[in-house]
Amino acid sequence: MSEREKMAEETQRLDPAIVAAKAKAADAKARASDDEAVSSEAETVAIVAKAPMKDEPASAEASASGGGAVAAWARQNVDPLIGGAIALVYVLWLLATARSLGFSRDEGFYFSASAEYERWFKLLFTTPSKAFERPVIDQIWASNHEHPSLMKSLFALSHHFFWDRWKIFADQSTAFRLPGMLSMGLALWVTYLFGARAFSRRAGIIAAVALGLMPNVFYHAHLACFDVPIMAMWITCIFTYWTAVKKGGLRWALLAGLMYGLTLETKHNAWMLPAVFLPHAIAMVFPDFASFLVRGRATAQETSKAANLPLASLVAMATIGPAVFVLLWPWLWHDTEPRIREYVNFHLHHDYYNIEFLGETYFGPPSPKSYMPVMIAATVPTITLVLFGIGAFDRARVLVARLVGWASDTLERTFAWPKEVPPSDPHHTDALLFLSLAVPLAVFLLPRTPIFGGTKHWITAYPALAIFAGRGFDLVATRIEALLAAKTTLDATKRSWALAFVGAITFVAPFAVTRHSHPFGLSAYVPFFGGTAGGADLGLNRQFWGFTTESLDPWFQKNTKPGDTVYIMDTAWQSWQRMIDEKRIPPWLRGVGSPAEAEISIVHHEQHINEVDYNIWTEYGSSAPEYVLVHDGVPIISVYRRPHGGQRGRARNR
Amino acid sequence: MSDDATEPKEKSRTPFAGWLLCAVPLVALVELALHVKQTSSDVVPESDWTAARDVVKAGLQPDDLVVFAPFWADPLGRQAFGEIASLKREGRSDERRFARAYEVSSRGAHVPELASWKKLEEKKAGALTVTLFENPSFTKVIDDTIDLVNPERLTVSRVDNGSEQPCAFQRGSSAGGSTVVPQGLLTPADKFVCMGGHVGVAVLHALDHHPHLCIYATPMQRGTLRLRFSNVTFGPSLHGHSGIQWLVERTPTPERIGVTFSAFDRPIGTHAHKVGAGWVGFEFPTAELDGKRGDLVAEIAPSSQRQFCFEATTRREAP
Repeated sequence: MSEREKMAEETQRLDPAIVAAKAKAADAKARASDDEAVSSEAETVAIVAKAPMKDEPASAEASASGGGAVAAWARQNVDPLIGGAIALVYVLWLLATARSLGFSRDEGFYFSASAEYERWFKLLFTTPSKAFERPVIDQIWASNHEHPSLMKSLFALSHHFFWDRWKIFADQSTAFRLPGMLSMGLALWVTYLFGARAFSRRAGIIAAVALGLMPNVFYHAHLACFDVPIMAMWITCIFTYWTAVKKGGLRWALLAGLMYGLTLETKHNAWMLPAVFLPHAIAMVFPDFASFLVRGRATAQETSKAANLPLASLVAMATIGPAVFVLLWPWLWHDTEPRIREYVNFHLHHDYYNIEFLGETYFGPPSPKSYMPVMIAATVPTITLVLFGIGAFDRARVLVARLVGWASDTLERTFAWPKEVPPSDPHHTDALLFLSLAVPLAVFLLPRTPIFGGTKHWITAYPALAIFAGRGFDLVATRIEALLAAKTTLDATKRSWALAFVGAITFVAPFAVTRHSHPFGLSAYVPFFGGTAGGADLGLNRQFWGFTTESLDPWFQKNTKPGDTVYIMDTAWQSWQRMIDEKRIPPWLRGVGSPAEAEISIVHHEQHINEVDYNIWTEYGSSAPEYVLVHDGVPIISVYRRPHGGQRGRARNR
Repeated sequence: MSDDATEPKEKSRTPFAGWLLCAVPLVALVELALHVKQTSSDVVPESDWTAARDVVKAGLQPDDLVVFAPFWADPLGRQAFGEIASLKREGRSDERRFARAYEVSSRGAHVPELASWKKLEEKKAGALTVTLFENPSFTKVIDDTIDLVNPERLTVSRVDNGSEQPCAFQRGSSAGGSTVVPQGLLTPADKFVCMGGHVGVAVLHALDHHPHLCIYATPMQRGTLRLRFSNVTFGPSLHGHSGIQWLVERTPTPERIGVTFSAFDRPIGTHAHKVGAGWVGFEFPTAELDGKRGDLVAEIAPSSQRQFCFEATTRREAP
């Protein structure tokens, strides 16, 4: 047999139609082993491609002879352990880089609110009866009550224990930020588990890696804010629901309800989750219902065993969820209904802030429909998007093929495509993942949705995007392995190493881009968009929240003296004070609120902030900054110094 | 189409799709190569800016413009060029007032306003390109009202029903600025203070997001704001520009702010600035005044728009 013929045979072996036939044989086994690859299609690929699923759960006998209970436990929990290891490494990376990232405006506000909440927790620990008095609750929890309290409470508790009591962290800010970083760990862990259980262990690993190696995600993962936490809770809630659907029973349904409550209590993105769960639940019962309409009661009864409406989970989420939301937020314990209404109205009628997109600053509706897709393309590493495209196309093809197969059965008609209908998935995993991806994104196609948050406002879609990318890599790796088998003499072990190498080089670019983006994550654009300078060329937002001020520290250290006043511009006062307290910038500097009061003025470069730049020119009578902080040659902050002699404005030029 | 007809096509497609999948990691390698290039050799070093400054400095004349492209590189240019990047050049009203222009560009970017200008020479300064252009429609500025905003050359008054109240000149503190945006136009430190407004030189953030050096003259709610520039040398034409702080202009309204110019008790012309128009120019012929010296009077009609800024120059077309 020639090499070409070998390749052709190998390729045919991987043809979905052929592998689907093999999948049928494995299908029963796949369903019995519920914790392993749930999608029959994915199971098939794992079988055909011999994907590395070596650490199968060990039997009792194996554990007895395999070196002790710990080893057996580890083998039985290999997926949680792999996911945990990825999460741990990532959180350590975040901790190692936290000191060099300044504080954003919102962090400053949340530091303050969390410090208030910490007062309440101290009361709770010392004089619980006082903590539950309404005046105390109203006074403390009024702080930043436009957002739910879960994360701020965790920031407060982390600060209380890890900084105040146990002195684990030197910086108070790191203690405040830790829960956000752990949220990122949770997001990676669940993304891995979801990918591994829906497709393959390899897909899970790649999904987690892809999610972690996005510059914007890496930036937000450092912060004591809610965006990465809601991303983590979003995918965790969906994963819990999916597990409840698979396993059934009350325990998982209750857990789904609890998770939804925690998600509601994290950020208002949770309001969109019903748009994920309800269509999915409908998808689960739709085939039976439609069959009933088309073919009559008898047929429907035959097939109804397969359909299993996740009613318990839905009811639990509709009841336990809101209860948890209220119970964990003391602000809602009194005047519950008006305060919930105030909270909802705040977000339904949120102010529009300025944000630049393609050279234009948007400040109100209609928001450009291209904003979300362009920003995703410009900020998510291109290789990740390519893999996502492959994986999503594959799963969409399977979904459509199943739909056509179902229509063929129901209508008793034959269609030209597909030749082989993929085995059905009673849990509709693909549909759930597509909904998890599409719902947060679809909102940004609506004209009235504000876009000022940049990518962070649809960050909840990224775990699903990453899982599809993991699936895409699975397909790529399968093909490469087949090619290696056909074209080389490498044995299976060497082929596995070769695939690991391919995986590594595939993610070197996302790693390099993400690592290099720090601490200017919001200024970073992917290489195919020209990098940071390309983003500037295109007129994409350079930054927001004024967090880059800390990066001026080296210049401040060399060029300022005790008592110098600095106009802090977009830096929040709380953020400035924390940077001073933690000696991230020279403690001898005194922040002031206008260029008129300042010896030194800074301006964070954003298009709508040009007015501040020009106002400084008016005040100092000069357009020449003394220093420009750059990232890859692109201005991030300009620093002006008042001209000698203290003269103001153009007077000095005459 | 029969099944038989489709089968060979599918067979021939599959290997190609397989090859494509195998090539996917190459995307990552290209991405990595681009990243390395963009973060190293593409970044313009400070020494290139210094070299470009030296090139410009060697041939710079007072009527020359200096611009940086792309616009986002402007802070880098201003830092390197210092006083060469003066407020008059950076906050220019228009390009016609400059005889020549030095364009310092990177990444192949250009200033669109110079597209029709004649290229005289081009030099490389590392990654930067310094190009000297000649203005085909140069109009030389004779007197610039911005230079006259001082108590020696300008008197300001508020006029209510024929009653004129002088506005005193003050050297003091600017007003405005905070840690939130929008902040609006900074009220300059040196200014004429009237009851209900002021007149001083400021840099406007106009609707085009560019800086424009201009006379920040707050229109009165009811009275007329009168500015009398003394000893102005007139030419064949009076040129001017006006704008309102960009935040106001980005929501257009039918409202107009009128500025009427006169000299020797004879009207020159009225410019009506429509809210939403952005930074716009106007031009009045003054051939009958050419060569004369006298007072130029600008009267700003009452308006609720507070952040109005304008400039005017007497000019002469270059021969």
